[in-house]
Amino acid sequence: MVPAQWYLLLAAAVFCIGVFGVLTRSNALMFLMSVELMLNAANINFVAFSLQWGNVTGQTFGLFTMAIAAAEVAIGIGIILVLYRNFRDTDVTSATTMRW
Amino acid sequence: MAAFDYAPVIVLLPFLSFLVAIGTAIFARGKNVLPKGGALPGIVAMAGALLLSIWMFVTVEAQGAYDQTLYTWASGPGEGTFTLTFGVLVDQLSAMMLVIVTLVSLLVHVFSLGYMNDEDETGLPRYYAGLGLFSASMLGFVVADNLLMAFMFFELVGLCSWLLIGFWFREPGPPSAAKKAFLVTRFGDYFFLIGVVAVFATFGTSQFSPIGGMEAFPVLAEEALTGSAEGINTFGFDAATWFNIVGLLVLGGVVGKSAQFPLHTWLPDAMEGPTPVSALIHAATMVAAGVFLVARMYGFYALIPTTLAIIAFIGGFTALFAATMGVVKREIKQVLAYSTISQYGYMMLALGGGGYVAATFHLMTHAFFKALLFLGAGSVIIAMHHNENMWDMGGLKERMPVTYYTFLSGSLALAGIFPFAGFWSKDEVLYETLVHGLGGSPLLLAAYAMGLLAVFFTGFYTFRMVLLTFHGEPRSETARNPHGVRWNVKGPLVVLGVLAATAGFANLVPVEKLTGANVDFLHDWLYHGPETLNGEHYSTLLHDVAGYTAADFSVLISAAVSLGMALAGVGLAWMLYNDPSPEEHTAKLGAVKDLWYHNYYQDEFQVWLAETGGLGIARGSDKFDQGVVDGVVNGVSSVSLFSGSRVKRVQTGVVSNYAALLTLGVVVLMVALGLYGGWFL
Amino acid sequence: MIIEILIAFTLVAALATFFAPDRVSGKLAFALSLVPVVGSLYMWSLFDASGNALLQGSQVAFETNMPWISLGGYEIAWHVGLDGISLPLFVLTTVLTSLAIVSAWTPIDTRASQFYGLMLFMEASLLGVFSALDFFAWFVFWEAVLVPMYFLIGVWGGPRRKYAAIKFFVYTNVASLAMFIGFMALVFALGDSVTSLGLPEIAQATRAGEVGSYFGLGAGAIKTVAFAAMFVGFGVKVPIAPFHTWLPDAHVEAPTPVSVMLAGVLLKMGTYALLRFNFTMLPDVAAQYAIIIAVFAVVSVIYGAFLALAQQDLKRIVAYSSVSSMGYVILGLVAYTLYGVGGATFQMVAHGLISGLMFMTVGVIYNTTHTRMVGDMSGLADRMPVTVGILVAAAFGYMGLPLMAGFAAEFFIFVGSFGSQTLPFAPLFTALAMFGIVVVAGYLLFAMQRTLFGPFRLETDYTVGPAPLHDKLPIAVLLLLVIALGVAPELFWGMILDAVEPVLETGGGA
Repeated sequence: MVPAQWYLLLAAAVFCIGVFGVLTRSNALMFLMSVELMLNAANINFVAFSLQWGNVTGQTFGLFTMAIAAAEVAIGIGIILVLYRNFRDTDVTSATTMRW
Repeated sequence: MAAFDYAPVIVLLPFLSFLVAIGTAIFARGKNVLPKGGALPGIVAMAGALLLSIWMFVTVEAQGAYDQTLYTWASGPGEGTFTLTFGVLVDQLSAMMLVIVTLVSLLVHVFSLGYMNDEDETGLPRYYAGLGLFSASMLGFVVADNLLMAFMFFELVGLCSWLLIGFWFREPGPPSAAKKAFLVTRFGDYFFLIGVVAVFATFGTSQFSPIGGMEAFPVLAEEALTGSAEGINTFGFDAATWFNIVGLLVLGGVVGKSAQFPLHTWLPDAMEGPTPVSALIHAATMVAAGVFLVARMYGFYALIPTTLAIIAFIGGFTALFAATMGVVKREIKQVLAYSTISQYGYMMLALGGGGYVAATFHLMTHAFFKALLFLGAGSVIIAMHHNENMWDMGGLKERMPVTYYTFLSGSLALAGIFPFAGFWSKDEVLYETLVHGLGGSPLLLAAYAMGLLAVFFTGFYTFRMVLLTFHGEPRSETARNPHGVRWNVKGPLVVLGVLAATAGFANLVPVEKLTGANVDFLHDWLYHGPETLNGEHYSTLLHDVAGYTAADFSVLISAAVSLGMALAGVGLAWMLYNDPSPEEHTAKLGAVKDLWYHNYYQDEFQVWLAETGGLGIARGSDKFDQGVVDGVVNGVSSVSLFSGSRVKRVQTGVVSNYAALLTLGVVVLMVALGLYGGWFL
Repeated sequence: MIIEILIAFTLVAALATFFAPDRVSGKLAFALSLVPVVGSLYMWSLFDASGNALLQGSQVAFETNMPWISLGGYEIAWHVGLDGISLPLFVLTTVLTSLAIVSAWTPIDTRASQFYGLMLFMEASLLGVFSALDFFAWFVFWEAVLVPMYFLIGVWGGPRRKYAAIKFFVYTNVASLAMFIGFMALVFALGDSVTSLGLPEIAQATRAGEVGSYFGLGAGAIKTVAFAAMFVGFGVKVPIAPFHTWLPDAHVEAPTPVSVMLAGVLLKMGTYALLRFNFTMLPDVAAQYAIIIAVFAVVSVIYGAFLALAQQDLKRIVAYSSVSSMGYVILGLVAYTLYGVGGATFQMVAHGLISGLMFMTVGVIYNTTHTRMVGDMSGLADRMPVTVGILVAAAFGYMGLPLMAGFAAEFFIFVGSFGSQTLPFAPLFTALAMFGIVVVAGYLLFAMQRTLFGPFRLETDYTVGPAPLHDKLPIAVLLLLVIALGVAPELFWGMILDAVEPVLETGGGA
């Protein structure tokens, strides 16, 4: 069996890619994808620990996370559409009306 | 005791007429539902009350006094509590006062038919409602059997004066005068209320005479001073000192309501009200209430000579002070107003001078002749189409003889000319003060001297008024063709005119001294009250506790001196003003006239006090409140507002910045946790 | 059970009104609000409690005591009941709410159903405050009152409504926080001697001297701190000067019916709580600092009265005079005599009725003239005689005219405080505070003379005529109540004395 550390390293790598994406990209779609990456990094951890301990709870949570991610994508896409409609752009840094 | 069961009805009848009139005023406004605009219920009620009062008077004579608790306003369940009740006390003093009040009030109601109804005034139901409530409050005050109840009705009397003085509310003057009357008397009542509270705190009761297990505070005070009282809290003072304080506090209300110096300023202004109301206020109700209160609790005042001396001094000073101002007034009602202040000064002088009977006697005669003078002035004012300036009158003698002769009767009484009512009572007032002053009290003698001097001024201003109004040649068109008055004006005048001439015969002390005939009826009457509420008891107290001693002095000399002073005043007036077209002799007084005409600048001073004192403090407080107190509150909130306005800059609206901050936060948190967990060490 | 039924009914009624059509909501709310009125009067007629609900040997009326939540070693119960102190306030709340709803018919013309719904919701919370005997439920109700009030001022108020609403909410909420901390410090200092947050248990424990040290502070210090925190917390609500500045703003901006509730009932929460918490639980601290508290009271009376004298806005006048009148309550409480504390309780009811009456009547005048500034009008008596007549009667009631409720209350307080043993220099403090009755007469008479009398004049462009009947009826009813209570204070006086007496028996360790 592959030890859990490798999975954790993978998850950490995926998560860092997500964080990097969120911090550097200004396109809303890229943003969304990066967030998905971070979510899935967490998913990997769930599954990995589930395998480690022989317990299905983690996998169950993984399934939940996927469902939530799917819902989130739906909302996220909706937000991006509205964003585009209002600002003619999907650049998140251009929409700054919701500040102080 | 069947007769006395109807005692509360005397109070309730006028109250009922108030309810009827006010009900009409509210629910049937503008519709002429009540005949005579509500006067009839009032007249019927007052007539009924008068009959009942006379019945009470007769019954008191036959059966003695009556004191009954009727209603427990607020009970106290046990130790250290007070039973606050309403009760009816009909003794010699209050029975007499009941008759006076109901009689004057009835005549005022009748007179109002001529003064208000015939002049087509609007708002008559409101007027008669006010009169009804006024009478009811005063009657309630008269029959009160404890100080708290007396205070309550005292205040209601104040309310009614406000309502009636300000009756013509559409003009600017009357509401202002009403406000002043209420405020000034309220200032006095402030002290009175402290006094009432102090009486409760000291004695635990405020009954005037012991009744059904409740003790009476004058009796307790007497016991405290003679050294056998228990459970009396004198707040760390010597009993006599404390009683003086309490007595002076209660006196505050008396000074306010009876318009004594320095709280007299409201009364001349109160002339803004309808003249019948002035008659009622001055003769029988509001102003009389103050003096009556002192007479009512004389058992308490008779114990404290210091307060008595102060009362006498205030009274004597006010008598003189007000009389001088009356000398120079131009309006007939103003002269009468100052004469009222002056006359009540005499009553105070008598009370302070140990002349309980004399004060009561003067209260009675004054009620008749002053009501008469005001109603007579009202008749003149009708005739003159509401012009009150005496310099526009003159020569009314021939044109309105009934008014003239009755007015003359009242004036002779006011001036204290033999044998009119005022002579007897004023003489007794001065005599009592004199003998007690000679008995060893220089302060009383000083008060007596002022009272005696005031007699001269009284004679002068009274006959100046009579001569200017009725004698000489008419000085204006209206005076040549005065408006006629009807029976409803003349009737009350005649009744009171007769009384003003004859009421003095109720107490012919000098005659008794001279002839030995037993003709001091009022004296006898008041000496036969309940055990602790009669004149004899009071004179014992005055002698034993207060240390008043009466010097032996001939009543004839005293009477002759005061009559001589009065005649001198009258004579001077006659010399100066009995002229077809008199001139303003008072102008010769120069600066003194200005001083008197402007009431010693008392009003200006009090207005200045109220405006710079009261309003000044108020405006200062408001600035302080807005600036400092609320400033601190807003300052505190502005700290958070300011910090918010700075910190909110973090919220840039750029999502990437938020993400960066989030990441940064997580990193910082992890590093911190790591440090805490010792990873990097 | 009847208390729960009334509270629950009022909540349901609030909800029903909230969703009713605007057109009928006013009448519906009034009809529904009559049920608590009838209920509370029925309770008043059945009332058979004796003693003080917080202290030993009491018989609490309409009591329910059910275990509810267990929290960190403290049992929280649903405990409600009424005694002679709370019942009069309970009745006051129901009656005043009903009348306030009627008085809202004319001025409230937008979002009416929400308005009436919030009013009823507030009534339910107020009933809870006055009947709860467990701290948890009491505190929930206490805070729940603020929410509808915030919206009522903030949505239906005048031009500066937002400022006023936020100021009101933040100020009183900060005060609640102080109070909460103080009370909790006291509870924790009681240690193991209490096992619940029931007010009776805590009161009895503190009076029995069970307060220990906590947080490094000794028993005496903790009691002082708790007392001070609660005094400030409740004092803001009362309001005691100098914590009063939210009140005039809130009153001026609030619509008439809300002012009525604010002055009539909400202020009484503060004094009620002061009596229940500070003066019942910590009488020894109150006695120790009696002079300071009396100074607060006298300053409130005199300073509030002088502030009222300087105002031009009729509502501001009445608002500041509330500060003044509530100062008398504090004076009565600190005197700590039967008549002082009893009179203070009586004054809560009396002032509730009279200030409600004043605000309502000023509101009726505002409805027709659309101005409240003294200088903008004169001679109104000519145009609206009945309303002016009632306003005059109300003003004299405010001045303490005998045979009206205010006089009875003030007299009881003065008699009680004059002979107080607890308060040093009691006669002096009493005499000073009594000067308020002169100033109150001054500003009310001045304001009346200038607005109601003289020749008719109005700066705003409105035709002034007699007010509609549904404006006049509630003020007439209130006036009659004020007179009834003044003529027969026994309606409440006996039960108040009965409930106050145990408070003063400082037996045990206190």
